[in-house]
Amino acid sequence: MIEPDTIMPDNTTNHFFRIRIPGQLLTGLLGLCLLFLPGSLWALQVTLNIADVAAPGFSARGIKAVLAQNGSAEFSIAELGFADRTLHGLHLHCAEFLLSTEQIGCLNGKLDSLPGLSVFLNYRVKPQRLELRLTGKKDESWQLNADLRAQPWHASVRLRNARIIRLSGLLPPDGPLPSQGGLNGTLAIKGDQQGVRQFNADLQLDDWAVSDASGLHAAEKIHGKLQAQATRTGRIWDWSGTIDWQDGELFWQPLYLRAGHALQASGKWQDGQIQATQAVATLPDVGQVKLSALWDISNSKLLDGRLSGKQLSLAAGFANYARPFLENTALAKTELKGHADLEWRYRKNATEALLFKLRNVSVADAEGRFSLNGINADIPWHARARSVAQVSFADSELMKLPLGASKLKIQMQGKDFVMPAASLPVLDGKLEITDFHLHQKDGNWQWNFSNTLTPISMDKLSAVLYWPQMHGTLSGYVPRVSYQDKLIRADGTLLFRVFDGTAEVDHLELYDPFGRAPRLSGNLDMRDLDLDLLTNTFSFGNIQGRIDLSVGNLELVNWRPARFDARVASSPGKYRKRISQKAVENITALGGSGAGAALQRSFLRIFESFGYERIGLGCELHNEICTMSGVDGEGEIYTIVQGGGIPAITVMGYNRKVDWTELLSRLERVMQENMQAVVK
Amino acid sequence: MNALIKFCVAWLVLFSVNVASAQVNIEINTPGVSALKQSMHDRHSQLAEFYGNGAVGLTSDGMIAVRDASAVPLAARQKVNGLVAAENQDRKALYAEIARANGHPEWEGDIRNTFAQRWIQRAQAGWWVQIGGSWKKK
Repeated sequence: MIEPDTIMPDNTTNHFFRIRIPGQLLTGLLGLCLLFLPGSLWALQVTLNIADVAAPGFSARGIKAVLAQNGSAEFSIAELGFADRTLHGLHLHCAEFLLSTEQIGCLNGKLDSLPGLSVFLNYRVKPQRLELRLTGKKDESWQLNADLRAQPWHASVRLRNARIIRLSGLLPPDGPLPSQGGLNGTLAIKGDQQGVRQFNADLQLDDWAVSDASGLHAAEKIHGKLQAQATRTGRIWDWSGTIDWQDGELFWQPLYLRAGHALQASGKWQDGQIQATQAVATLPDVGQVKLSALWDISNSKLLDGRLSGKQLSLAAGFANYARPFLENTALAKTELKGHADLEWRYRKNATEALLFKLRNVSVADAEGRFSLNGINADIPWHARARSVAQVSFADSELMKLPLGASKLKIQMQGKDFVMPAASLPVLDGKLEITDFHLHQKDGNWQWNFSNTLTPISMDKLSAVLYWPQMHGTLSGYVPRVSYQDKLIRADGTLLFRVFDGTAEVDHLELYDPFGRAPRLSGNLDMRDLDLDLLTNTFSFGNIQGRIDLSVGNLELVNWRPARFDARVASSPGKYRKRISQKAVENITALGGSGAGAALQRSFLRIFESFGYERIGLGCELHNEICTMSGVDGEGEIYTIVQGGGIPAITVMGYNRKVDWTELLSRLERVMQENMQAVVK
Repeated sequence: MNALIKFCVAWLVLFSVNVASAQVNIEINTPGVSALKQSMHDRHSQLAEFYGNGAVGLTSDGMIAVRDASAVPLAARQKVNGLVAAENQDRKALYAEIARANGHPEWEGDIRNTFAQRWIQRAQAGWWVQIGGSWKKK
């Protein structure tokens, strides 16, 4: 309905219209009402103000048309809304505006919002055919042809070197926006009175660059092909399409991906939900995965999903699609090799099932902290059902310690994993693990188990860890090892048999094992060590006898001592006690320039070894300073070796505060036997 | 708490290569702090470029953040993300380690705040720092 409100008797005539159009084209109506203007008014400039236009999915406010005497025309729309988008301040200038009963045309037009494009519009009234051409430099062309009388009506858009930056105004301003790139190809739509019924697109993307303001979601030099078809039946759209990403790179935090990806998909679209029933994604260097998904468009939410793939390569798969999400974990520098079958099911805001089959997979930490090789596994995990995972591996390594082949059975139910028993070969012994339990509590993972280490040879252990050759065995039983809040705690005692004596470690705790500064604490108590074996192993000069070593409040940070209270002392009991001249020199050298032996050099030269009553040396380390103590002493002087027998020797220490780093460097020099000991 | 702040500043001074560390009587020199310091020092040569071009800035909470990823080629943005994540992990561990080594784990927040101010004060001209919730170029 059109109702002129006022007519101004001036050289400018204003016509005010209030228009309600159910689904009709504004151009046709505007043309129609202009046709019936009195002929005398054509000599004047005519201004038409149209209050608003509203139709389903379309609205326009503040429409104004100014027809000038020279044949030009200006059209403006203050606010244009369509498909949930609103454009403001549209303005079209037609250098030549044609209006007749047969056609309406705009020649040499300019749209303010599309600078650099020349507009050609022609609407033939009787056959209801519309042609709109936007052309620009570098052979840019956007061409719309529509036949509105046909049943069904149809329209096509041909794009040639169309610059996508012109579409920026139609995109959400807070998302990635194009800065360059071209489009070539065609779009075709058919429709009826209910709207668009069929849609086809065949587009080539050339040299696209898009980015959001932060640069965390961006793509550059993108070339690709997009084909899509959609047909509506009632309210349901059936769609299918392919995307072939031919060149370029994409960063979508935290993923960085390169060309080679492709997607074929089909499905339905109804009531704000898009469903992909059959989709195949090609992931370069990984393989193909099949997808299905139900996506809630308005809430940007996945309602239902399924993904599966066979024989996927894990090397690129893990590096490209998983590791970027693991930057803050111990797996941040992990590399995988091998192949896997994968199935993932998602429903009701959570993963419902995750099924893995691993074939000959290797896992290695780039910093050499752990590795697993020859992994074969069948892991059928379900969120709400009990299942059993079978995992086997050929060999592994933890902190340089090699572990042999093993087969594991893991019972799984939701986020609760139990392994009743497992046996890991360690050199010539075994680590028997029982009652391993991994579960999530308050959103954090924690685990615990019991273990028994059957005796392993210290000879072999010291060889693989590049320690000085030691003799004896290492064994132990730990009733409970637990992990919670980055802390591994061992309740119980680890028992060693080394240097013909015993060693016990208890209260062992390791905080942040894979962090930058792991912290180990515990107590070490060694009894009846054979000094002959010990000193020969460490090239210290021979000492015969037995010794006890206790280290309390031990704390290693980044595997370096930060604090301890250590003491070595002759073991109780009767045994041969001799100390070689070399050992005396080395002990003295450890004391630095302030330490000395209570024997004259001339007397030393006569004997190769000496008797002693007892040996005692303590070091309380705190803030890099070692506070020394001996068998006894007063003030700064303390006795390290108390003489006894013939010939006897007494070694004194003269400085109780020793810099730990300095002490270590002295020890190193002694071990290397490249230092001439200073003996007074 | 003033003593704590003085301590932190003194400790930061120790980090500075321009000041003789012998002038400051610092009790903290734990292996953990040394390891973290070394790790951050090694990483700094890689991060300096991104501080300089504005891709990464110093936040007011003693961490660093990707401020403008557009300043970095697309292929390097993941690396920047990784560097920032690793640096923040070290920084968090550093504050906790200093507090723990002093026997006062509850000081971590104060130590972090003190460090945050000092990092920003010591930032080079041209670097981006967060002050009052907004980014500013020094």
